[in-house]
Amino acid sequence: MEEKKNIGKLLLGEWNTKTIVAVAVGAALFGVLMCYGGIPVFTNTSLTTAMLVPVIVGGLFGPLPAFVAAGVGNVIADLIGGWGMWFDWSIGNAVMAFCVGLLPVYGANIKEGVFEVKHMVIYAICCILGNVISFGVITPIFTVIFYGGDLEVTFIQAFAATLGNFAVLVVVGIPVLKVLANRYKSRSNLAQEHSDNY
Amino acid sequence: MNNRFLINFTPGSTMMHKLTGGTKVLLFVLFTIAIIATFDVRVIAVLSILPIAAIISMKPNYKPIRFMIGFMVLVVGIIGSLMLLLVSPNAGLTNVGGSTVIWRLGENFFVTKETLWYIFAMFVKRLASFMVVIAFVLATTPSEFASGLAFLHVPYKVCTIVSLAYRTIPDIARRYTDIKNSMQMRGVELSKKASLGKRLKATAALLVPLVVSSFGKVEVIANAMDLRGFGRLKKRTWYSEHELTKADKVLRKLCILFTIGIVAYIVWFRVINPWPVTYWSPFIAREDIVKVGRFETLSILKWFGK
Amino acid sequence: MADTVIRFKDFGFQYKVQQKPTLYDINLEIHKGEKVLILGGSGSGKSTLANCINGLIPFSYEGTITGSVEVNGHETKGSSIYKLSKEVGTVLQDSDAQFVGLSVAEDIAFAMENECIPRSQMVPIVEEHAATVGMQDFLKAVPFDLSGGQKQKVGIAGVLGSNVDILIFDEPLAALDPRMGEMAIELIDQLAQDKERTIVIIEHRLEDVLHRRVDRVILMSEGRIVADTTPDEILKGTLLQQYGIREPLYITAMKYAGCSLEGNDGLSSIDNMVFSNESREKLLRFFESQVESHEPHLGEELVAVKDVSFSYDDSRKVLEDVSFTIHKGERIAVVGRNGAGKSTAAKLICGICRPNKGSITIDGKDAKGLSIKEIGERVGYVMQNPNQMIVKDTIKNEVEYALTLRNMPRDQIIARATDALNACSLFPMRNWPVDTVSYGQKKRITVASILVLQPDVIILDEPSAGQDYRSYTEIMKFLDVLNKEYGKTIVFITHDMHLALENTDRAIVFTDGRLLKDDRTFAVLADNDTIEKANLKQTSLYRLAQRLGLEPERVIRHFIDYENYRSREKGNAKDEEFEGKELEDVEAEDSKEGGQA
Ligand SMILES: Nc1ncnc2c1ncn2[C@@H]1O[C@H](COP(=O)(O)OP(=O)(O)OP(=O)(O)O)[C@@H](O)[C@H]1O
Ligand SMILES: Nc1ncnc2c1ncn2[C@@H]1O[C@H](COP(=O)(O)OP(=O)(O)OP(=O)(O)O)[C@@H](O)[C@H]1O
Ligand SMILES: [Mg+2]
Ligand SMILES: [Mg+2]
Repeated sequence: MEEKKNIGKLLLGEWNTKTIVAVAVGAALFGVLMCYGGIPVFTNTSLTTAMLVPVIVGGLFGPLPAFVAAGVGNVIADLIGGWGMWFDWSIGNAVMAFCVGLLPVYGANIKEGVFEVKHMVIYAICCILGNVISFGVITPIFTVIFYGGDLEVTFIQAFAATLGNFAVLVVVGIPVLKVLANRYKSRSNLAQEHSDNY
Repeated sequence: MNNRFLINFTPGSTMMHKLTGGTKVLLFVLFTIAIIATFDVRVIAVLSILPIAAIISMKPNYKPIRFMIGFMVLVVGIIGSLMLLLVSPNAGLTNVGGSTVIWRLGENFFVTKETLWYIFAMFVKRLASFMVVIAFVLATTPSEFASGLAFLHVPYKVCTIVSLAYRTIPDIARRYTDIKNSMQMRGVELSKKASLGKRLKATAALLVPLVVSSFGKVEVIANAMDLRGFGRLKKRTWYSEHELTKADKVLRKLCILFTIGIVAYIVWFRVINPWPVTYWSPFIAREDIVKVGRFETLSILKWFGK
Repeated sequence: MADTVIRFKDFGFQYKVQQKPTLYDINLEIHKGEKVLILGGSGSGKSTLANCINGLIPFSYEGTITGSVEVNGHETKGSSIYKLSKEVGTVLQDSDAQFVGLSVAEDIAFAMENECIPRSQMVPIVEEHAATVGMQDFLKAVPFDLSGGQKQKVGIAGVLGSNVDILIFDEPLAALDPRMGEMAIELIDQLAQDKERTIVIIEHRLEDVLHRRVDRVILMSEGRIVADTTPDEILKGTLLQQYGIREPLYITAMKYAGCSLEGNDGLSSIDNMVFSNESREKLLRFFESQVESHEPHLGEELVAVKDVSFSYDDSRKVLEDVSFTIHKGERIAVVGRNGAGKSTAAKLICGICRPNKGSITIDGKDAKGLSIKEIGERVGYVMQNPNQMIVKDTIKNEVEYALTLRNMPRDQIIARATDALNACSLFPMRNWPVDTVSYGQKKRITVASILVLQPDVIILDEPSAGQDYRSYTEIMKFLDVLNKEYGKTIVFITHDMHLALENTDRAIVFTDGRLLKDDRTFAVLADNDTIEKANLKQTSLYRLAQRLGLEPERVIRHFIDYENYRSREKGNAKDEEFEGKELEDVEAEDSKEGGQA
C-alpha cells in the first residue's frame, strides 16, 4: 500500500512552482530544438536533440512533467516550425516522453547523483517500449481518427521515428544523464581551498 | 526574431487583436475540432473562410506566413504525397472508396484518381487547421493565451505552463545569441570566416550551455514567482483578460450556435449515417463506393497472413 | 518600543551543497517601522539572510537551519512561503530573475493577480506604481527590450503591488543611475513612512542609502553580524575600513585631512552635519595644500566611433550620431542615465551589434570587416548581466575557457588564471559550480574571464554593481597594473560616481542616445548642467566644497590628485604614514588568505 502511494507520487511528480517553471522551460526548449536542433531523416521524424528535454525533465522531475513538457513542446514546435498541426504526433511524443521520464520510478535519482548500469539498462528498455507504444499504437490511432491518414505511411514513419529517437535517447541520452548525475554529485560539501596549487 | 516565429507579445490594434483571450481560444478550439471532425472538403472549405478572413483582417507581416505555408506545401504536400504514392498507391481504395487507375507503371506502382483525391483532401484538411493556427497565433499574446485557457476552466497552473513556455521562447533565442556572442568574444569563430564544418561543431557545442543555463534559470524564476504569492490561492485573475468588446459579445453568442452545429454534425454525419469511407469525393456516388477494411490492405499484416 | 517583527535567535544556516555554514549564530531583532541597512562584503551572506526572512530558505533552498527565525511572531519553518509572501515583499538582487510577467504592466500586476484582485481594480494601481518608478511609458514593453536599470525599476514597482508590511530590497541601487538611485531611496523612505512598513535594505552604496534616514546599520562579515549600531557610530569607527566597506567620500576626505570625526555630529549626512572648528580648519588647510597632479598621457588612437546611429528595432533610435575616440592607456568612464545607450555603445564596439549609420574603426581597421572574434582579440567586454556571459559549469573552467580556446600552454594558462582569480578574490572557490555563488561573485567570474585575456581595451559594464569596496579595489588594483605597466586601456560603464572619480581620467556622458559631454572626469562631475541632464548626481565632495565655501572643481580635483599621489606613494617605497594603513593591512592579509594558506 505504502509502496503504491510512493509509486503514484513518483509518477505524478510533485507540482510545485519549480516543477511548473521547469516544465514550461522544457516545453519551450523542446519546441525550439525540434525546429532548429535536429537533422530531418524522414517526414515528421528527425534525429533531434529535442528528445533530450524529456530525458532531463524526467530525470529531475518525473514522468508526468516530462509528458506535459513534450506534449506542449511539440505543439509549440508545430506553431513555430510551420509544418502544420500534428496533434497525432504530439500525443505520441508526449506518451513517449512519459515512458522515457520514468527514471525516478525505478530509482534512478539524478538529483542525488544515482544512475548506475542497471538504471541505464532499464532506461534503454523504457525508451524502446515507449517508442513502440507511442508511435506504433497511439499515433496511428489518432492519425486515423483525426486526419484519416494512411496507416502504411504512418507505420513507416513510426518505424523511422522509433529508430531516430532511440538513437538519440540512448546514444546521447545516457551520457547526458550520467554527466548530470555527476554534476549533482560534485555539488556537495563545497569549501574554500586556501592553497596555492591551482 | 519574434516575428520570425509569428509570436507577438504586444497586442495589435485590429478588431481581431482586441478580442479577449477567452474568445480567441474558444474560437481556436471550436474551429480545430470542427476541421478535425469533418472529412468533407466542401465543409472544410466553408470552415476555412473565417480564419483566412481573420488573417487578412489583421494585416500581418506576410513574409513568415508565406514561408511557413511554402514549407508546409513542400513537406506535407509534395514529399508526403510522393511517399504515399510510393508506399501505398491504393490508399484511395480504403479512404475514398474506389480505385480507377489513371496511370500505371508496373505491378505495385500506379496512380488512381481516388488516391489523388485522397491526397488532395487530406492536404486541404491539414492546411485548413494550419490556417486556424496561424490566425490564432497572430491574434494572441502568450498571456491572452493563458487567460483564455483559464476562461475555458483549464487549471491556472496549466495555463501558466503554456504562457511561461511561450514567453520563454524568445528568452531562449536571446540566451542563444548571448552565449554565442560571449563565446565569440572569447575566441570562437562563428562568422563566415570559419569553415562550415567548424561552425556546425561550435554551434553543437553551444547547445550544452544553452540547455544547462535554461534549466539553471528555473530555480530563480520559481523563487521570484513564489515570493509574489504564485499558487497560494486556488484561483487567480488575469491582467491581460480585459473587458469584453462588442465583437466579443457577438462572437461568444455565435460560438454557442457553432458548438451546437458541430455536435449536430458529428452526431448525424459521423454516428447516425456516416459516409461509408473516410473521405467524401465528388466523383463517386454513395451507392457504388467499394468498402475495404483499413487493415485488409496493410502490407505488414499481409506478411503475417502468409 | 515598537513590537518586534523579525527575530533571529542563535540562527545559523548551511546550504546543502556547502561544507561550512553560510550564516553563524545570528542574533537580530528588527522592530515594526524600522529601516535597517545591511552592509557586508560580497559573499558575506546578506542575500542568504534576506532569504531566511522571506521564506526562500528553507522552502526553496535546501540546507540545514539551526536556531530560530520568527516573522510577525511565528516561526518561518512552521509557516509556508505563501503565507510569508503576504507579509514579506522582496526585490531580488537578480533583476532579470525578478521579471516574471510578459510585459511591464503584467509584471507589476503579478502579485495582485495571485491575490485574485479583479482587473478593473488592478489597472489604475498598475499605472500608479509604474508612474512612481517612472516606467509609465513602458507599460507594454517586453522584458527583453529593457535596459538593466529599467528592469530593476519594474522590480521595485512589482513589490509595491502586493501591500505587505515588510519589504526587503536586495541591492536595489545596483543598476540604477545616481539620480534614479536617489529617487529609489526617497521612494523606499516614503514606503517606510506612509504605512509604517518595516524595511530591510541590502546595499553596498552606503553613501547613497544615507541620502535618507536609516535607523540602524548591520554589518556582516563571513556570515556573522559584526556590528549593529547607528549610522553615525559606524562612520566614526574604523569598522567600515576594516571590513572593506566603502565609506562616504566626504568622510574619506576628512580622514585624509586628518580630522578626528568625534567632534562632528550628524556625520551620516553631509547636508546637516555640524563641523567642529578643528575639522573645518584641517579641511580648509588640506584643500589649500598643493599636490602635483598627473596629466594622463594619451597614446595612439585605438578605437574611433564616428557619427554612429543605431536602433534595435526600427521604431526607436537608441544611439544617434555618437562620435568619440579611445586612446591607448586611457582610463575612461562612460556615464549616463538608465537606458541612455551605454551598454549598447559597448555592444557596438565589440561588434555584437552593428551600426545602422556611421563607422567604427579599431586601431585603423574598419570594424565592418572584422568578426566578433577578431574584435575580441583587441577589445574585451564584460557584460552588464553576468548571466549573459557564463557558459561553463565551474568557475575555473569559465575563467580558463578563453585561454584553452587559444590552446595556450597549460602552465601559462594556470599562471594567468591564477592572477585573474586572485584579482577577483575567487581563487579559493575556483572549483565551485557557477550557480552556487552570490550575485557579486558571479559578476566577478565574468570579470576574471575577460581579465585572463588581457586585451588592449577592457570594457567593464557596471563592474562595481553588487561588489563591496574591497573586492572591487582588488579588481581595480589589477586593472591599474594592466593600465600603468602594460598600457592597457580601461573603460568603465558605471553609475558609481566614486568609481568614476577615483579610477578614471576622462568621462563620456550619454543622455537618451546622444553624447552629451566628453571631458576630464572631475570637470564633468563639477558641471551642474551636465549632471542635471545626464541624471547624474554631485558626489558628496561637491556638497563638502559648498559647505566649506570652496570651489567644487578645485576640491574634487585636489581629492583625486591626492588619491593618485597616495597610490603612487603606496606603489613605491610602501611607506605607511597614512591612517588608511589599517585598510591596506587588511587588504594585504586578505589577499594572502585568498592566495596562500
Ligand atoms: N544557491 C546557493 N547554493 C549554495 N551556496 C550558495 C548559494 N547562494 C549563495 N551561496 C553561498 O553563500 C555565500 C553567501 O552568498 P550571498 O548571496 O548571501 O552573499 P551576499 O552577501 O548576498 O553577496 P553579494 O553582495 O555578492 O550578493 C556565498 O559564499 C555563496 O557561495
Ligand atoms: N536587446 C534589446 N532589444 C531592444 N531594445 C533594447 C535592447 N537592449 C536595450 N534596449 C533599449 O535600448 C535602450 C538603451 O539600452 P542600454 O542597455 O544601452 O542602456 P544603458 O545605458 O546600458 O542603461 P543601464 O544603465 O540601465 O544599463 C533602452 O531604452 C532599452 O530599452
Ligand atoms: Mg546578494
Ligand atoms: Mg547597461
